[in-house]
Amino acid sequence: MQNNSLSKILIILMILTGIAGIVLWSASYFIGIIFIAAALVLYYFYKRSAEGGESAGAWAKGFIKTLYIPVFGIIAAIILGGIIMIITGNDPVVAYKALFYGGFVRSWHISILNAVPLIFTGLSVAFAFQAGLFNIGAEGQFYIGSMMATWLGLRLGMPPVFSIFIIFIVSGLAAAAYNIVPAALKVKTGAHEVITTMMLAHVARHLSPIFIRGNGGDPASSTHAYVTDDILENNFLPIFKDFLPNANYRLHVGILIAIAVAVLVYYILYYTRIGFEVRAVGQNPNAARAQGISIGKNIMIALLFAGFLSGLAGVNQVVGLDHKMFQNLSAGYGWNGISVAILASNNPIGVIFTSILWGALDAGGQYMTRTTQIPNSIVEIIKGIILFLIVARYIYTYFGNRMKKRRIDRKIKEAV
Amino acid sequence: MEVLAQIFNTELLVATIRLSTPITLAAVGATICERSGVVNIAMEGMMIVGAFTGLIGAMFTGDPWLGLLFAVLAGGVFSLLHAFATVSLHLEHVVSGAVLNILAFGIVRYMMVMIFGHPGTTDPIRFSLKNYQWAIPGLSKIPVLGPIFFNQTPIIYFSFLLIIFFTFFLKKTKLGLHIKAAGEHPLALETIGVSVYKMRYTGVFISGMMAGLAGAYLSIENAVSFTEGMSSGRGFIAMAAMISGGWTPIGAFIASLFFGFADALQVRLQVALELSIPEELFIILPYVLTVVAVAGLVRKSRAPKADGVDFMIERPE
Repeated sequence: MQNNSLSKILIILMILTGIAGIVLWSASYFIGIIFIAAALVLYYFYKRSAEGGESAGAWAKGFIKTLYIPVFGIIAAIILGGIIMIITGNDPVVAYKALFYGGFVRSWHISILNAVPLIFTGLSVAFAFQAGLFNIGAEGQFYIGSMMATWLGLRLGMPPVFSIFIIFIVSGLAAAAYNIVPAALKVKTGAHEVITTMMLAHVARHLSPIFIRGNGGDPASSTHAYVTDDILENNFLPIFKDFLPNANYRLHVGILIAIAVAVLVYYILYYTRIGFEVRAVGQNPNAARAQGISIGKNIMIALLFAGFLSGLAGVNQVVGLDHKMFQNLSAGYGWNGISVAILASNNPIGVIFTSILWGALDAGGQYMTRTTQIPNSIVEIIKGIILFLIVARYIYTYFGNRMKKRRIDRKIKEAV
Repeated sequence: MEVLAQIFNTELLVATIRLSTPITLAAVGATICERSGVVNIAMEGMMIVGAFTGLIGAMFTGDPWLGLLFAVLAGGVFSLLHAFATVSLHLEHVVSGAVLNILAFGIVRYMMVMIFGHPGTTDPIRFSLKNYQWAIPGLSKIPVLGPIFFNQTPIIYFSFLLIIFFTFFLKKTKLGLHIKAAGEHPLALETIGVSVYKMRYTGVFISGMMAGLAGAYLSIENAVSFTEGMSSGRGFIAMAAMISGGWTPIGAFIASLFFGFADALQVRLQVALELSIPEELFIILPYVLTVVAVAGLVRKSRAPKADGVDFMIERPE
């Protein structure tokens, strides 16, 4: 009994310190890292008091082992990117210094701002992937979500908490509804969702100018052509500066919503019946069917929920950052959502970290270009290489086996 | 009536061929690739790589034919990454394809900034393959069919020849039959002593070269410069054409013609009905029709049995 109440206290303490750490860190108070570290230590003690056994060393070892391939992939990509820079006549040391200083220190708030929509789209792609579906058209759902959010944001005059809540839910549902077509076609005819969602993404992207012109972005009368009017001020997401004076004035609380949604998605996937069925369909449809799990229903659930999550990314950009809609509102967040989901092996919690890494690479790349004139598109290459090396896990075994074989062959030859 | 005459004429059909050619080439390539059992959603990325390399080649050698060669080789070499990832590393095909699309975008953008100093559009080349438009004597005088099929630019003629070649290749040559077997029943193929890995590598390589050719068409025949995003989803429309065409080169060609027609019609409608309707409603037409076509035809066509199925075997060597 004693043990039980202790573990309860520990988990509550851990959650509180964790939230404090995340809030502070994402508002560019670097003291937040200490809080997060403290939360991790508390988590360790909680685990030990709840389950007993496992020494700190073994736990740390297991933790490091899961990071083995990602870290190796990132280091290898950095080296390869450096080689490319040397070949093309840029100094990699200068470039990387600026990249990391910019991404993780100087422009940290931009990294966070970049990461927020990526977390949503990443979760969307990851959730669909768990059901064995590839939601490659997250970009389109992003646009639907942002259009709906702008439309509502221009009109809803309720107290902020209510209207923001309504905007999030309704716009998310609109984006989910946009995915009904691919989902229904997948279930009824078997049309591949890669093609249908991709085509609908192009459709949504091309429809957005019509919406923008209809909501204030008239190129004939407006000084800012192709930009809608600003949404009403009561629909703005709160910013960190309201309660933390040192935070950047653009940094909004969307990151906290994103992290909360990621935890929620994790919970749905691994602790509820729906999540279990979705994963069962993704891993082995035939076995799932034999268990009486409806494949069609779960495909619908997965694709619609994926659409909902992508829509939230668009909402977040409108109510949090830009407060209006324009044609290039999405700087490829839908496409990059695929990368962060793949990189996190479709783990919702992992998506948070990969999104922040991606956001930091983008922010650092811009800082690097500003200060050193090295084109920030090198970041795109580094991203591609990181992805390839981490995704292709088997590559290490492949070359390992080849080397081993060669060694054995040589030994045989020597013996003969 | 006047409006109709302005839209529906021989010009429309000529434009159909021109707009469908990149889709046709990519769709035929994708057909070979999927027949060998590898799903290739990296067609888009390979097209971009081919288009960019083709333009660079044409610009620095001054000869668009050499640019064409570069484009085909670049597409092929880039596709080998996909083959390596899916066949040798047993990676999920869709994931590898998505990653390669992202990588292609990054490489092209970086090279573009390094060479031209800015992303977006490259400088134009002075001499493109369009200058080699050739009216076949005699045949091009046939009314309607003449201007459509026999007064075109080089890559369009290549595409006609390649459709015939690959139909023959899949049906009659040993290599083609082996490739098909690798996509239908890989184990059986391995049993008779042919390497499934090699067949799949070949299939992917062919698709890469075809995508490179499609890219070259976009940048150095249909246009004189490379613009980021100029492939605008054609790699994916090509996959739709492949599925609607039932995984055969001829079928892929017919489906591509349909999508090309939608695109050509869309442009003409925009011009004919100007201002009354927003132009964007026309631009989306080909994309919507693609969804409709895939949904309507996917049931009637049968995918290769081992399409996208990983094959792993240990050989005593």
